[in-house]
Amino acid sequence: MAVTEPQKFAKDFWPYFNKVVTTVIVFSQLIILVTTAAILFMFNFLSTNLLAFICILAAQLVLGIVSSIFLYKLAAQPLKDLLAAIIHISGEPTATTPPNPNDERFDKSGFKDVLQTIYELASKDNTPAGVISSTPANGAVVAPTAQVAIPTTSPTAMIEAALNETSCGFVVMNHDRKITFSNKAAPINIDAQGVTSLSLMFNGQETLDAWLEDCDKNAVHAERTWSRIPNKLPEEEDRRFFDVIASYDKGAESEIVLTLIDRTSLYAVGEQELDFIAFAAHELRGPITVIRGYLDVLEDELKDVLKDDQHELFRRLTVSANRLSGYINNILNTSRYDRRHLNLRLGETTVTEVYDTIRDDMDLRASAQNRLLTVNIPADLPKIAGDPASLSEVFGNLIDNAIKYSNEGGSINVGASTKGDLVELTIEDHGIGMPASVIGNLFQKFYRSHRSRETVAGTGIGLYISKAIVESHGGTISVRSEEGRGSTFIVSLPTFQSVADKLKAGDNSNKGLIDQGSGWIKNHSMYRG
Amino acid sequence: MAIKTILIIEDDRFIGEMYVRSLKKAGYEIDWMVDGNDGLIAARNKPYDLILLDVMLPERRGTEILEALRGGAEDLIPNTKVLILTNFEQDDESRLAMEKNADGYLIKAEITPSKLISVITQLDKPA
Repeated sequence: MAVTEPQKFAKDFWPYFNKVVTTVIVFSQLIILVTTAAILFMFNFLSTNLLAFICILAAQLVLGIVSSIFLYKLAAQPLKDLLAAIIHISGEPTATTPPNPNDERFDKSGFKDVLQTIYELASKDNTPAGVISSTPANGAVVAPTAQVAIPTTSPTAMIEAALNETSCGFVVMNHDRKITFSNKAAPINIDAQGVTSLSLMFNGQETLDAWLEDCDKNAVHAERTWSRIPNKLPEEEDRRFFDVIASYDKGAESEIVLTLIDRTSLYAVGEQELDFIAFAAHELRGPITVIRGYLDVLEDELKDVLKDDQHELFRRLTVSANRLSGYINNILNTSRYDRRHLNLRLGETTVTEVYDTIRDDMDLRASAQNRLLTVNIPADLPKIAGDPASLSEVFGNLIDNAIKYSNEGGSINVGASTKGDLVELTIEDHGIGMPASVIGNLFQKFYRSHRSRETVAGTGIGLYISKAIVESHGGTISVRSEEGRGSTFIVSLPTFQSVADKLKAGDNSNKGLIDQGSGWIKNHSMYRG
Repeated sequence: MAIKTILIIEDDRFIGEMYVRSLKKAGYEIDWMVDGNDGLIAARNKPYDLILLDVMLPERRGTEILEALRGGAEDLIPNTKVLILTNFEQDDESRLAMEKNADGYLIKAEITPSKLISVITQLDKPA
């Protein structure tokens, strides 16, 4: 960890000791001086022999101080050398060179043996033989100069060996985001050029890089935790899950320190559950196919027989079956997304084309629930790079919410426009709206506001997966809302042209896109534009 | 070439009957096979205009049937269109393989019979 507060070091002792002794010497000499002056005064030297009075006092002062300091230096030199040796073996950062036992003066005084004993003790204590390949990551410790009896072990090496024993990963980075230290358990990649990089797959836009960028701008000290971050894609060998704790300390030599706790075994259960959810949701699709299909067939075949109110019942059945189908898609896509399996196939399409695939369904849903749905999407909007099936799910979720959270007879407006490189789709309702405190959590998984939990049914994954899908397109989703007045959801999607330009800039590979940092088009390699 | 004859390979009786019923009503000639082996034999023996192919099938999966028909050097059904109909979405690789050899990949739960008919009509158009 970066040292943030002043800490006591052994090397700090000598300057302190030196100061105290010097002060004591000066004070004691002053007292002697004053006493001498008093005695001389009593014997009338001051009035009878002023010259002698001054000479005696001056000689007393100078000789006293010089002799005291000389004696002090002589007596304290071994202590100083001892301290220097101890500082060196403690591995503290210091600019002084350790005392060399082979120095002539140590040889003469016999202090050589003392120094050698200290160094020997230090090397015996520290490490089992052989693990002393000390390479301090940040060069903070001054390496001992090549001298005979000076040991190479330092506590740094010991700590490094210990860090390699744990199953926790530790990664230290400097200001340039270069990895300066990583232990054995840390998930890192070393490429052909020998450059070390982290291999962690963060979720959506909440990446470490994004956070660090934010820290660079806004923070001095910061800490943040991510959970369940895998190091590899699903189905890759030795995939592990980590909880990642990052601390940031601006300007420090180890500006970023990551602690990675391996939670693979804990989350493995969760993985199985996700598999189970995906399996169960797939199973549900069978009966839904039959229900939706037969309703379709029956409504057609009975259209002349049914009375108006019976038609209405049929429509309600259809709407409910369609919604059920939508929820199952939400569950499936959430499970895919959480397992990093969500694959989008971005292609050239338009908001109108996407909306057309759900238009009938949405009209039916709105009219069956007595809402006025008006859709106004201009025909001349630029094309977007989108996955129609996923985007229609997003639009469906947002309109479904607008219906849910508005009142009987309320109006819902769907509109679209161009904003620079983006096409914006807005879904506006005039329903119950929500307070600002709710908005911050709105896109979290399973989040449901206190009130909506009481009054409106739902799973709390619709907005979560919608956000995931939109961000995987390189777009954004946001909301404006006023309590009692209604909400407006805004989906911004990049135009096809802007995505194509980025693709070209990336030498026609997806690398360029992946490096944009939003993690989009991450695990699929078929951009069909 | 208008689509006239259709082979349905689908093991779920409810779903199979549903397609047969509405497609017949729409004027198509329908054969329906319940398991993968029979489906493959039928597809080889008679030149259909369109095959509706389920993936999870007894005896022989839809992927294998498609591979047997179109995976080799020679396309055994050059004049037939193939629509994959499934509820169990595949992982990317097998889905890619199927899409390469098929004319469409549809999720059954999302396709009502009337939508299916409009998809078939669309298939007819460009040809």
